[in-house]
Amino acid sequence: MQSNEPTAKTASKETVSKSRLAWLTQYGIIIAFLLLCVALTFLNKYFLTPENISNILLQTSINGILAMGMTLVILTGGIDLSVGSVLAFSSIVAATFVTGDNPQSPLVALLVGILTGAVLGLINGCIVAYLRIPSFVATLGMLSVARGLTYAYTGGMPVPNLSESFLNLGEGFFLGVPMPVLIFLLIFAILWVVLNHTTYGRSVYAVGGNVKSARTAGIATKPVTASVYVIAGLLAGLGGLILTARTSSALPQAGVSYELDAIAAVVIGGTSLSGGVGSIAGTLLGALIIGTINNGLDLLGVSSAYQQIVKGCIIVVAVLLDYSRHANE
Amino acid sequence: MKIHPKSKVTTLLLLGCAVVAFAGTSFAADKLRVGGAVYGLKAEFANLWAAALKKHPAVKDGTVEVTIFDGRYDPLVQNNQIATMMTQKFDGIVLSPVDYNGSAPQIRKAAKAGIPVVVSNARVNSPDITSMVLSDDVKAGEIIMEEAAKRMGGKGNIVIFQGPIGHSAEIDRSKGIQTVLAKYPDIKVLEKKTANWSRAEGLSLMENWLTAHPNEIKGVIGENDEMALGALQAIKGRGLNVKDFVVVGIDGVPDAINAVKAGEMFSILQDAEGQAAGALDVALRAKVGESYEPKAAVWKQWEKEMPWNGGTEKAYFIPWTVITAENADDLLKHQKELISGS
Repeated sequence: MQSNEPTAKTASKETVSKSRLAWLTQYGIIIAFLLLCVALTFLNKYFLTPENISNILLQTSINGILAMGMTLVILTGGIDLSVGSVLAFSSIVAATFVTGDNPQSPLVALLVGILTGAVLGLINGCIVAYLRIPSFVATLGMLSVARGLTYAYTGGMPVPNLSESFLNLGEGFFLGVPMPVLIFLLIFAILWVVLNHTTYGRSVYAVGGNVKSARTAGIATKPVTASVYVIAGLLAGLGGLILTARTSSALPQAGVSYELDAIAAVVIGGTSLSGGVGSIAGTLLGALIIGTINNGLDLLGVSSAYQQIVKGCIIVVAVLLDYSRHANE
Repeated sequence: MKIHPKSKVTTLLLLGCAVVAFAGTSFAADKLRVGGAVYGLKAEFANLWAAALKKHPAVKDGTVEVTIFDGRYDPLVQNNQIATMMTQKFDGIVLSPVDYNGSAPQIRKAAKAGIPVVVSNARVNSPDITSMVLSDDVKAGEIIMEEAAKRMGGKGNIVIFQGPIGHSAEIDRSKGIQTVLAKYPDIKVLEKKTANWSRAEGLSLMENWLTAHPNEIKGVIGENDEMALGALQAIKGRGLNVKDFVVVGIDGVPDAINAVKAGEMFSILQDAEGQAAGALDVALRAKVGESYEPKAAVWKQWEKEMPWNGGTEKAYFIPWTVITAENADDLLKHQKELISGS
């Protein structure tokens, strides 16, 4: 999106071969995704069925939602390592409201889960923005604290017997689309509009690009920085609710190392870890690529060991593409 | 400098923490002190195991003090904890190992120092242990596969969810499953893959398998309950009838007990309480001597199948309990009581 303009401008001034390279790095991610899909379609007859596409979207939705929040954080030049733990704590707290013989409305759980995530995110955000602790350290702390809170809250036991209406959040359909997918796409749409068509979105890019010039331009950099962690936490809470509804019970060990998959989706999607450059649409593709690889290799009966190898290679290649793009500029 | 007052506050806070930590430790000299080293308190099984140690009759009547050490799934962490117990001159160690091989050198040191080490829950590759109290995982694999084969009428296609490859329970349970499968040539294994004991991973894997093998899967063999529960969820999510599938698991976690009650799966209980409390008795017997009488309920429960024999056997195997609609409520209630107030 935003990164589009500088690349295009540079390309017009440079030689033809340079512009081809620029084009490749810009659209490499889309080409890679399409190639992957074509290959899998030939390798397995079930890959391109509506049922399987729904599977991929469903299996991508939780990581996708986490990665959406992660994109904002990384755009400001930060990182959020705590989303997996925040997801677990929010879902355990929320689940206690819809359990047993007297469950509350699923809306209450939804609100509690999202709020819990947002509060933990706010703590992250304030520590990073106002106490000036590097985000890596602040959220590494939260990764540990939120996981500890999760175990303390339930004594390490899961919260089972959740109400049917709550489970609907994970298993239900709306207009034929699974609820998690619908929520995932809705979040994508909202964040796409926010990032591309609002002042707030522009200030997120500005803070990540250059804090000093952003401040000179009159942007309240501290609140903007803090806010992206709130959004990441809030979305982690939402992801946790969906995960809980899908596994029919809130599990304290849920979400371990989910932050890494979320970061991988953002990076594969072409968002630069140094901030200021990237797009939410790239992250959508990045998350879909990870989901498609996992699904495809399951369909082909490939061992999970190779799944990890393939994923790792793709992450590194994606960053290589990113670097060559920077070199172009 | 701005930093000064802040660092003072930090120091005070740290000091406060230290004082609280010390106040919490009792230094009763006459009590026997036993360390309970558990592989990781992230698993609910490990929490039940730890709770059972703390509620052992000998702990309740004040003759023994138990300290729990969380191995955090890291063999090195667990070894360091055993070393700590040695420096503190503990009277015995009850060990639920992180790894089959990882603790062997440290167990040797403890044994040399004269501290009895009783292994519980999973095996370790060490000749130096005093004894072990656990459930036979090979047997568990056999039981669930035999039950699945019976329910499938001896034929049909199955998928197998394995534990983390190389984990001792995965190796043994897979072995048991294979032994039984050899007897049923008409049962075909369509897929076999690890879902790392995880419900979320089991869910995705089953969804993909249902797509790859439409209307072909009859049996779902979970090497633990969590993965089997994930598979159940995938079947339901696909709008298929759970009753058309044969789903089996191992461990007896609360959700699985509920699923058995609902007639959706078959599972067997791994007795965390018996493994922990039984192992503590064996450790105390090694320290106190012949006069020691075992106090845990597990010895009464399995008097015939697992006789105490003076507490000097090299291994005790606690039988697996088949979970049924009848005993489900009692098991659930018991687990709840164990974990509450611990």
